Amino acid sequence: MKFLKNPFPAMWRLYRSMPLTVKLGTIWIVAIVFAAIFADFLPLKDPNYQGFIMGESKVNEGPSLKHLLGTDDLSRDLFSRIIYGARVSLTVSFVAVVAGSAIGGFLGALVGYTRGKVEAAVMATVDVILAFPGLVLLLALVTFMQTRSLFVISVIVGFLSIPPYTRVARANSLSISRREFVLAARAIGTPRRTVLFREVIPNVLPSIMAYALVAAAGVIVLEGSLAFLGLSVQPPTPTWGGMINQARKDIKLTLFPVLVPSGAMVFTVLALNTVGDWVRKRGQVRGAAL
Amino acid sequence: MRKRTTKQFVAALIGSAALLLAACGGGDGGSSGGGDGDEGKPVIGGSISVGLEAEATGLRPWEDSCSAPCYTIMTTVFDKLMEGSSEGGYAPFLAESLEPNAELTEWTLKLREGIKFHNGVDVTSQTLVDMFEIQKTGAASAAVITSNGLTSVEVVDDLTVVYKLSKAYASFPADLERAPLGMVFEPAAAAADSEGFSRAPVGTGPFTMQTRDPDNQTVVVKNADYWREDADGNKLPYLDQVTFRPIPDEGTRLDSVASGTVNLAQTLRQATIRDARATAGVTTVEFQGNNTGGGFFNTKKAPYDDVRVRMGLNMANNQEAVIVALGGEGISAAATQWFSPDSPWYSQKAADAYPKYDIAAATAKLKEYIDDPARSDGKPVGSNIAVTLSCPPDPTLIAAMQVVSEGWKATGLVDVELTQFDQATHINNGIQDNTDAHCWRWGGEGDPQAGIAGFLADPAKAVGNFTNWEGESAAVAIAAKEEAGKTIDPAVRKAAFETVMIEMNTNAVTWYSGHTATAFITQPTIKGLTSWTLPSGVRGVGLPGGEGRIWGVWVAAS
Repeated sequence: MKFLKNPFPAMWRLYRSMPLTVKLGTIWIVAIVFAAIFADFLPLKDPNYQGFIMGESKVNEGPSLKHLLGTDDLSRDLFSRIIYGARVSLTVSFVAVVAGSAIGGFLGALVGYTRGKVEAAVMATVDVILAFPGLVLLLALVTFMQTRSLFVISVIVGFLSIPPYTRVARANSLSISRREFVLAARAIGTPRRTVLFREVIPNVLPSIMAYALVAAAGVIVLEGSLAFLGLSVQPPTPTWGGMINQARKDIKLTLFPVLVPSGAMVFTVLALNTVGDWVRKRGQVRGAAL
Repeated sequence: MRKRTTKQFVAALIGSAALLLAACGGGDGGSSGGGDGDEGKPVIGGSISVGLEAEATGLRPWEDSCSAPCYTIMTTVFDKLMEGSSEGGYAPFLAESLEPNAELTEWTLKLREGIKFHNGVDVTSQTLVDMFEIQKTGAASAAVITSNGLTSVEVVDDLTVVYKLSKAYASFPADLERAPLGMVFEPAAAAADSEGFSRAPVGTGPFTMQTRDPDNQTVVVKNADYWREDADGNKLPYLDQVTFRPIPDEGTRLDSVASGTVNLAQTLRQATIRDARATAGVTTVEFQGNNTGGGFFNTKKAPYDDVRVRMGLNMANNQEAVIVALGGEGISAAATQWFSPDSPWYSQKAADAYPKYDIAAATAKLKEYIDDPARSDGKPVGSNIAVTLSCPPDPTLIAAMQVVSEGWKATGLVDVELTQFDQATHINNGIQDNTDAHCWRWGGEGDPQAGIAGFLADPAKAVGNFTNWEGESAAVAIAAKEEAGKTIDPAVRKAAFETVMIEMNTNAVTWYSGHTATAFITQPTIKGLTSWTLPSGVRGVGLPGGEGRIWGVWVAAS
């Protein structure tokens, strides 16, 4: 509660406690999220404007003051497309994290605590979904849906994110349910629902959060793969994977249009993994202290 | 059922010369090397490896739906009855002669004497009759037979047959130049084991199959008993062995030639031709053909049912920018019709009739429609036109599609939604009329009648007509097409095809990007790709649609 009343000092302390790599990762994530959210208000060029048609710029230009990261094969500003492209990747990741942690996390914590037939049924379903190769299942669903809007892609990826979160949450819930403070709560007659929401879920959350950061990185790569295969949102909406796909035909002429979105994806995934690892380690320390 | 069958044939025709829609654009014609001028004396012997853009789906001419890679392999194993001639039209190849009757309903074909299959069986008139029995039910050939009305093949003597058709059909020689009806295969072996025949085909061609390992390599070796000689009396083919390797990635295939992994490779991509031109140590042998990229409108569907909309969208199509997006700058020429300027079928009148890029004029045309209270899409007066543009998800096509879309949106009166479907679905959407504005590619080096017959037909008869184009102009175009089918007089046929192209242009049922250049990328020592000749000594048609004739190739001393 103290944190919520005045979060900035606490956030600053948290930031100062981070190792350098985690600090850099955090800065990158914050910057890319900020830019993606406020792209419309930033002094960016139209990400779909093809200047070469009007003779205003050239295709596959190198970096310049006019185009900070150069232009793509249709003379569109790469810097602008990277920022707008982040929207797709981050939106899909966000939906996956929310759906995964809310639905999968709750379901896993619930069945890990209650056990019994419900647990068997839920985990069997989860195992069946996880048994399919993820990308293949995703391709099948996306192809089946025909429409490839951001909403559809997000919903599908979000749905496919639920099973792994369920497994992670259940594993943690199983362990926490046997801890002394949970047994003590039950021994004094605390209702099961209260135990679940007051004792189990709050202690499952750090693991879910750590997993969410790492899984978000995976979702970014997944969406990139979809886009690379031409199965993510339709052009001209920029996506990092789509940008890589479209630039590869000119890779012998110039590397920039491939390197820029690849770099954005690599740095984002690296940052999420680094921060996720750090959160996980902190969670372990906290768990040991309980 | 009939509609579906015919439309599938139409799709096969349009797509057969090369991978349908795989690339758009064009070139400036001729060769950059490896085929022009004096290439020196052919060297006998040696072996080469050829990089193909895809694995052959199969090697049964009557059954397997093929594209350029598949045909390139097939022409080493099978001979065709007719071949394309550099003098225009078709000339006898395994046939010695082909003569029609006055009504063009019967075609008498005489075979060359002394030809044997690789397994030693003689090629006789009965061979063609037996082939026809298989072709009648072949997946690739049955649709051709349905279209040309071939009803029977009858023996006249040991080497002569008569092809009897149910209607006049001037393009029949073109059908005998294509694989489904034109490639001569050993019918007994084919009937005995169709699947096995695909792995070990038996033809009369210059090479025999040694090993076939799909998705890895196909090796053919010299047919020592091949019937052909070159002008100097050297027995063909020159090479002892050819290995075909599928290398789907364009860049990898080009690198494979540059590094010597393969000696030559084919491409149908303008961007690859551009990259090959800039790559040291390789030669590009280019062919500017009659394949034309662009798209068509479903004229049955609003708002494309209004010529003002189609014309406006056509005028807002910046062809030069599309060609740049395709990587075809300096390679491709903007198209105005299905025929490139160096084609004997090219029409200047049709070129003049093609809508010129003019945003102001385009906007005016679209505004007329938008402000018309009776506009066909039922939207309120003044509201933007909604257009859906669909293409396969190929990077070059995605780029081209976005430029086309940007041009349309530049009028400020069009909202464009882009959709992508895999190539098979995209083609099927075209067949099933599930189209709006639809990327497509037309033409090829075959007789124009075949492609046009597939594209234009009276919708009332439920035959062909991807655009669903109807009305007075369509009737004029369809009548011209029918007229061309009834004569072999080149002048009459050219006039008829010109009428078709003019009517299509004035009604803006299609839009074009450029002509599609195709190429073989070779090491400099590879010779003879384009200098192959027909048995009469006349030069062949070169490298149409990325299809190589490897039997004319030799390896010069480095």
